[in-house]
Amino acid sequence: MQIQDRVEQVDDLDRYVYHGRIDIPNSYSAGTVGSHFLTELRDKKIFLGMKCEKCNVVYVPPRSTCKYCFAKMDDSWVEVADKGTLLTYTVNFAPTAAQPAESPIIYGIVQLDGATTGFVHMLGEVDLEDLRIGMRLQAVFKPERDASILAVKYFKPLK
Amino acid sequence: MGNRVAIVGIGQTYHKSNRPDVSQPEMVNEAVRAALADAQLEAKDIEASFLSNMETFEGIYLPDHGMADEIGAYMRSGLKVCTGGTSGASVVAEAFHYVAAGLFDVVMVTGFEKQDCGDTTAAITAACTPVWGKGVATGAIGEFAKQALTYMENSGSREEHAAMVRLKADRGACLNPYAHLKLGLKSIEEILASGYLVWPLRLLDFCPQSCGACALIYASESAAKKMAQKPVWIADVETVHQEPFRAGSFGDPTGLETYTQEVACERVYKRNGITDPIKDICMAELYEPSNWEELNLYERFHFCEKGEGWKLVEKGITEIEGAFPVNPSGGVIATNPIGATPTIRVAEAALQVRGDAGPHQVTRDVHTAMATALGGPNWTVLTLLKRSL
Amino acid sequence: MTQQSSQEQELIRINYGTPRPYKWATGKYIGKLYKEAKENKQLVTNRCPQCKQLLWPPIAFCGRCKVDAGEDWVVMNQRGTVVQYTYLVVPMWDPHYGEKFANPYPTATIKLDDGAYLVSRLQEQDPEKLKVGMRVEAVWKEEGRGTGMGDVLYFRTIEE
Repeated sequence: MQIQDRVEQVDDLDRYVYHGRIDIPNSYSAGTVGSHFLTELRDKKIFLGMKCEKCNVVYVPPRSTCKYCFAKMDDSWVEVADKGTLLTYTVNFAPTAAQPAESPIIYGIVQLDGATTGFVHMLGEVDLEDLRIGMRLQAVFKPERDASILAVKYFKPLK
Repeated sequence: MGNRVAIVGIGQTYHKSNRPDVSQPEMVNEAVRAALADAQLEAKDIEASFLSNMETFEGIYLPDHGMADEIGAYMRSGLKVCTGGTSGASVVAEAFHYVAAGLFDVVMVTGFEKQDCGDTTAAITAACTPVWGKGVATGAIGEFAKQALTYMENSGSREEHAAMVRLKADRGACLNPYAHLKLGLKSIEEILASGYLVWPLRLLDFCPQSCGACALIYASESAAKKMAQKPVWIADVETVHQEPFRAGSFGDPTGLETYTQEVACERVYKRNGITDPIKDICMAELYEPSNWEELNLYERFHFCEKGEGWKLVEKGITEIEGAFPVNPSGGVIATNPIGATPTIRVAEAALQVRGDAGPHQVTRDVHTAMATALGGPNWTVLTLLKRSL
Repeated sequence: MTQQSSQEQELIRINYGTPRPYKWATGKYIGKLYKEAKENKQLVTNRCPQCKQLLWPPIAFCGRCKVDAGEDWVVMNQRGTVVQYTYLVVPMWDPHYGEKFANPYPTATIKLDDGAYLVSRLQEQDPEKLKVGMRVEAVWKEEGRGTGMGDVLYFRTIEE
């Protein structure tokens, strides 16, 4: 592999800028609760939420502890809809090193019907001029799916 | 000195190499719940949360952002500390300052690291600047390897003495339900037969990469009086920093350097009237990434004369039933979730003071205990605990 | 991104790695070291005006005396003595190159004859021949890239 050492000379010979990089393989565990959500999303194309009965909050994505009352929510699973409402959005035109699709990307926060929380994803099959907060959306699944939130291709306007 | 501060809750996870069953916040949550149960408190009773983690070792920045809600810190005050290997003890000192200053009555300190997320040695290697050590740095282990060589040359000790330390650690770990590596080692020969990682350090001479978390709950004197759990008082904390020795971060081959360990312990001993450390202090939990480092630390904390650290282990003085037990928990060489490792030292020392260490409770009555931390360029953080002040 | 799954309940682990580029400004003092290494294959450093100790690496401030270090520059002798050494047996991940260490060279802490200590690779690759006290001398890469100590290929064993 080509060594990354490069030194840039700035102003005069007494000042240097070294160009390097750090490259370490990493991984992240979804955990028992997160894994169940992701595998059901992949296998059954359904969104699951975790409900705190006491606080009447449905978390999507799910979590194992209620942030309000600290109750342990192990298996109070509820299914929420694959349809929802756009809470807010932005359009990213500048490509970055780690992005999930080609630019421009419309990122949106979608409140799925039945969920208390917002779910971050992308929007598609929509003209930029037609984007409105509060618009109704429908999940579009990829034909080949990993156990990842990218099993959903994007959300499109609900006709 | 400020208000008195006591540890009134202690909790930790079972430490393992891999925890695919929990996300990082869920793992921390386990230690938080254990500490709350120990203190017989609820999450709502905690006023502030102080966290410790070696940021980016899990490959993500600002891990505290992704877990505040899930560890009961929603809308709480607090902060995260990252000072390298000492993080988990710096946070112990930092939270102590807050409570001693009277800003809070009940706070939680939590250290954590989920090392199945990345390559820790690579992450430590990346901590060296491109100016120094790029291409020659090999994480912490390369530094401790060179230091082991220096110790051997200078003290006249042999590999067998380091192996005795490893054997002692494993004995403790096998008695400690939470410890990570429980190898059931029987003999020195077994350790000397393990392969070299970075010469002269063998596989069994160095600490593992663990996933785990450890939580402590502090209370001010007035709050502690209303609580069920026996308080363990934080008698003193000390933090000493320096830049790395330009050649070798942990062992100074020049013989010229002042060690932060010596500066830190001399300050603590003076302030607390400690004249004969292994008599006045009843046991210690040392931060020893390698068995050789434990021998070094005996000397730097003045538990013995220079060059004689190996004699302490040879005579069995630092065994669980010895006159001055060191690391009855099995120590870092058995369990090493980095951001939690120094917090575990304090937790284990506090359990010994409380008399609640269970199977690895030391024979000697522990009214005073010391926990140490080591990290970064040979930084030192000390915590002195007492049954009564 | 790839995924691994474990049995019983399928547990998801996302593997990822994004190399992170960075720029490291060396500053004026290290910059001088870089320049001398690249152009003249020399190791230079400065001296504290108060304690007169060599400040290796070159630095703007003496930490011990807490005074500005200034411009008392010294060209160091490139011969020295090995005071510590080690070598990798199990290759580890090198984050700077994004691959396992391809490091056949043992590394050592070397005391230069001028008194400065530095870490570098050793030419000698036979562990049996490594010892504390061996005399060594810097060998430079033919084409220095101006990376300071990185322009030193290794220290070779010398007979005196």
